[in-house]
Amino acid sequence: MTGSRLSVLPRGGDAAYLDGPLPLAERNVSVGGVGGSVNDVLLAARLAAGDDRALGEVFDRLAPTVYSAALRVLGDEATAQDVVQDVFVELWSRPSRYDPSAGTLHAYLVVLARHRAVDLVRSELRRVARQERSYRLIPGQPAPSTCEEVMASQVAAAVRTAIRQLPDSQRVIIELAYFRGLSCREAAQAVGIPEGTAKSRLRLALAKLEAVLDRELLESL
Amino acid sequence: MTAKIRAPALPLDLRDRVLAASMRARAAGRPDPAAPEIPPTEAFSRAAGAFDGTLSVLRGADWAKPALRGLDVQGLVGHLAGVEEDVQRCLAGDPAVAAADHVESTQDAAERQAGRPPEETRAEWRRAADRTIALVRAADDRAEVAVHGMRLPLGLLLVVRAFELWVHENDIRAATGLPGSTPDASTLSLMTGVAVQFLPVAAARASLAEPTSVHLVLTGPGGGTWDISLGPAPDPAAAAPADVAIVTDVLGFCRLAANRATPSSLDLHVTGDPDRAAAVLAAATALALD
Repeated sequence: MTGSRLSVLPRGGDAAYLDGPLPLAERNVSVGGVGGSVNDVLLAARLAAGDDRALGEVFDRLAPTVYSAALRVLGDEATAQDVVQDVFVELWSRPSRYDPSAGTLHAYLVVLARHRAVDLVRSELRRVARQERSYRLIPGQPAPSTCEEVMASQVAAAVRTAIRQLPDSQRVIIELAYFRGLSCREAAQAVGIPEGTAKSRLRLALAKLEAVLDRELLESL
Repeated sequence: MTAKIRAPALPLDLRDRVLAASMRARAAGRPDPAAPEIPPTEAFSRAAGAFDGTLSVLRGADWAKPALRGLDVQGLVGHLAGVEEDVQRCLAGDPAVAAADHVESTQDAAERQAGRPPEETRAEWRRAADRTIALVRAADDRAEVAVHGMRLPLGLLLVVRAFELWVHENDIRAATGLPGSTPDASTLSLMTGVAVQFLPVAAARASLAEPTSVHLVLTGPGGGTWDISLGPAPDPAAAAPADVAIVTDVLGFCRLAANRATPSSLDLHVTGDPDRAAAVLAAATALALD
């Protein structure tokens, strides 16, 4: 055996050795530059490769926009920060879900933030509605804490505002269905309209709510 | 229309919180999707299968085309049959192959192919490769072996051999006008792991003079991210070693490690000291995993 013997530790922990001469390195080495622009395709590839620095770069570049989009829907800073965390964890956990050929990383993250925020609002609306029904059905049970009330109020504020903007005929159906817990048939009977009409108004109302939330979001971009 | 909400500044701790939660969800360095893990024997077996697949499409005249180091395609296949013979001697415990020169030791096997029908050369290599596969399947991957100046665990040798077969397969493909081939992600993942593992050795041999922290990102299936310390051990009293980040395609990096590409031919994205990065890439070239 000739030459010096150098060791490295392989993943398994056993020492490995390379002996003998290695060819001389080529001399005409040059390197490319990163440049100033951030390339979404490259970022996506780096994220897929497990490059944690890439995630930091994406955060620095896009977190304010993601936060703004979430805050626009939710109206609550703490919950919007949670959405920012959810969005970036999702990007890191499943990087292949972002397809650079389908759009910019900016748009992808904003859409993720919007969906997550709207999901939270819907979930909160359902919780508030369940709670209100519960108070009516079981008088005397402990009231929610001040903190819970504040949270619920903040999270649902944007959607409540949107509901108030609906035409009366649609707003009444939403309130009956979501806040009084009536089925579509019961809501139709309460208003004195056919069930099909009630369903139609409910669909229209939900579509308008979505549109209002979307418009608010677009304005924030 | 509702009034616009002006978002307040992000809290200072949000970045750390988000990055920590992300790393809990997926550890840094781990590619997604991760390639299915395979044992080194399987990687070697797959590389041999791919090599044989390339040989199977060659036409008669292709075997006489110049391929590498003065060898034509047929001679190169003969060289590989000779490598298999040396590996089998190594597995049998023959100390003579431990320090044998990789090229010199197989020269006879390469030269004896001259004038033979190509199918005989292919059959000789295939038999030799199959014999190696049968022997290593019965052996312990962790057992230390010594051949051609390398002393390393058998599993590691098999991945180095998979690397070698892929490189020479592509030498033949280039010589005969065929497009390059890409190993499957599982095999490539093992190959990149070996190349990265040997990088500190190569850096020492390439005389990387200063301690250097390298953040290496290899993109594409079979890639990943590594943080490696190269060069001499840093002086604890001195400032932190220079940090260099290198991002490139995994296949390009493997070609670099096989001495089949130069850094300037790769799609590289480097941050940090460019001279230091160039020294690291030169070290990767010095790996010469062929």
